[in-house]
Amino acid sequence: MSTFDTTSETVRRPFSGRRARLGDVLLQGVAGTAAAGAVALLGLIAYKVVDGSRLALSTFGLGFLTHIGWDPVHNHMGAAVFLFGAAVTSLGALVLATPLALGIALFLTELAPRWIRAPVTALVETLAAIPSVVIGLWGIIVLGPVLRDHVMPALHSTLGFIPLFGTPSPTGTGIFTAIVVLTIMILPIVSSISRELFLGVPSELKEAALALGTTRWEMVRGVIFPYARGGIAAAMILGLGRAIGEAIAVSMVIGSFDNGISWNLFNGGDTPAAKIANEFTNASGLEVPSLFYLALILLVFSLVVNTFAQIIVRRVARRQGLAAR
Amino acid sequence: MPRNGKLVRITLALAAAGLVAALAVTSAGAAGKRSAGTLNGAGSSLVAPAVAKWGSMYSADTVNYSPIGSGGGISQISARSVDFGASDAPLTKSQGDDCHGCVQIPWALTATIPVYNIPGVGDRQLKLTGTVLANLYLGNITNWNDPAIKALNKGLNLPDKKIVPVHRSDGSGDTYAFTNYLSKVNKSWKSKVGCATTVSWPTGPGGSKNPGVAALVSSTPGAIGYVSDFYAIQNHIAKAQMKNAAGSYVLPKISSIEAAAQLVKGAKIPANNKISITNPPKSKKYKNAWPMSTFTYVIVPTSSPKAAQIKAFIKFVLSGRAQKAIQPYVFAPMPSSVIKAANKTLASIH
Repeated sequence: MSTFDTTSETVRRPFSGRRARLGDVLLQGVAGTAAAGAVALLGLIAYKVVDGSRLALSTFGLGFLTHIGWDPVHNHMGAAVFLFGAAVTSLGALVLATPLALGIALFLTELAPRWIRAPVTALVETLAAIPSVVIGLWGIIVLGPVLRDHVMPALHSTLGFIPLFGTPSPTGTGIFTAIVVLTIMILPIVSSISRELFLGVPSELKEAALALGTTRWEMVRGVIFPYARGGIAAAMILGLGRAIGEAIAVSMVIGSFDNGISWNLFNGGDTPAAKIANEFTNASGLEVPSLFYLALILLVFSLVVNTFAQIIVRRVARRQGLAAR
Repeated sequence: MPRNGKLVRITLALAAAGLVAALAVTSAGAAGKRSAGTLNGAGSSLVAPAVAKWGSMYSADTVNYSPIGSGGGISQISARSVDFGASDAPLTKSQGDDCHGCVQIPWALTATIPVYNIPGVGDRQLKLTGTVLANLYLGNITNWNDPAIKALNKGLNLPDKKIVPVHRSDGSGDTYAFTNYLSKVNKSWKSKVGCATTVSWPTGPGGSKNPGVAALVSSTPGAIGYVSDFYAIQNHIAKAQMKNAAGSYVLPKISSIEAAAQLVKGAKIPANNKISITNPPKSKKYKNAWPMSTFTYVIVPTSSPKAAQIKAFIKFVLSGRAQKAIQPYVFAPMPSSVIKAANKTLASIH
């Protein structure tokens, strides 16, 4: 709306020069301040996080990254359990969510009868609007026991030879439950971005493929997926970022076990975001800078993830000659 | 479009005027409230229902309390962004130094209790000792039909079920009282784990806050956990009987918490009011004492512009009427010797 206004003001400049210029200055000022404010805020947060973690950085150094355990009584904290938990839960959620999300997006753009598309799209996007504390509660009360009583034993008895599917968790909480909860949380992000991408595929291309006698699936594989590949990768990385940063829901279902790493997905674990959410209000002494250290790791990680997303999008765009995207 | 531009400007002007008006109203409102008197506090969530009750009874000032956690309360009062902080664990040396001239005053007395979910074992049937409890949480006893538990519970049909020891995943005063007790009764707990609001748990899953622990215990057959008494009652979870040092099995209730607090009667209360009444010693006097009883503290600066208001509020809290009013939330009235020591500390505020 505002861009529209400015262009029309610019066009009208010969007739009412001074007023239009004032408007331009105002716009420039307001928009510029907003942009500068956002950048300054990020800088301020980064500074505060680094400043807060200074004591932990000097005490533990890089050994913090590999130490297993979190012991404020004996002042020995480490991030290994949390990094492991974050990596496993977010990658696991991505592995489960991506095919589901692509399926939803394809259904909503290509396969579903037209009248069903709008309501289903709205419902899928509503999933993203559920507060994470509500998903967490549902996870601990409903999902956890169902996974414990039905899904985990089934996985253990059929795939038990893989160390990932060991003895089921007696509580229903654990890394596996966190993965399922995160899958539900990132599903709407990945699927709605993919849907937009699929809608953007030129219909001439799709029709040309169908006219050549391809089946729908061949058209999807040969036209839609290659065309949207970069976008899908970016959507996945955005989902990954969301999964890594999610704190409240994860803290409720992951089982908060900080004293060891296990390959059994049904065991408890923890993530940096969940630990910070759980501990920060009650921490004292060296634990506070240690939590800041965890936050610093999260911050660096999300910067890396975002940069990666942009690089991938740009590279694919260049390959496809779509400089504008 | 120029008309649209004008519209935008008019809207902006209106919005600005509205903002100014709103600011004027709120500042006037705040000023009005200030003259009536406001006390802002933050900290322990354990004591929150008690503070809310006191706030509703107290008329001289409006009391705003944010239950952000004991650690949060300590840092807020250290920064003087609130008028009082509340903590379930007494201040550590470094916390006391960081607070620059703060005193801690005991203001409520409550208990942490073990709760369980064992198929076939009803409420108040399970009997435990501190040593067995420590070994459960250390992972040394892993099954409910372990001989060590069976020996304490003759006649109970304990199932062959794996024990799931549930702990608080967030830092908490309940964890402090619980680990404080276990450290006193078990040497290997003291050296391996220790006592704090957050410890490094050797085994078992964590639940977030009292409701998280309560939910995990009630949905997990074989689970044992610890919560504030108030939550056990609210969630209808089975409570365990504990054997105290005097050798009798007791249930957590107001009278057994009061019995434990008798510990401070003869003893000299230190100037910093740091009192621990977990695991009262072997004596007939403490026959009915609940071994995991705990004081919770209010932390105030010795000198502040609002000293008179703070003093008046805490004076009210220490009164018999205020102490009695919070019994429904399973807080026991503090013994007179503690009230006396608290009032003595209170007098140093100016």
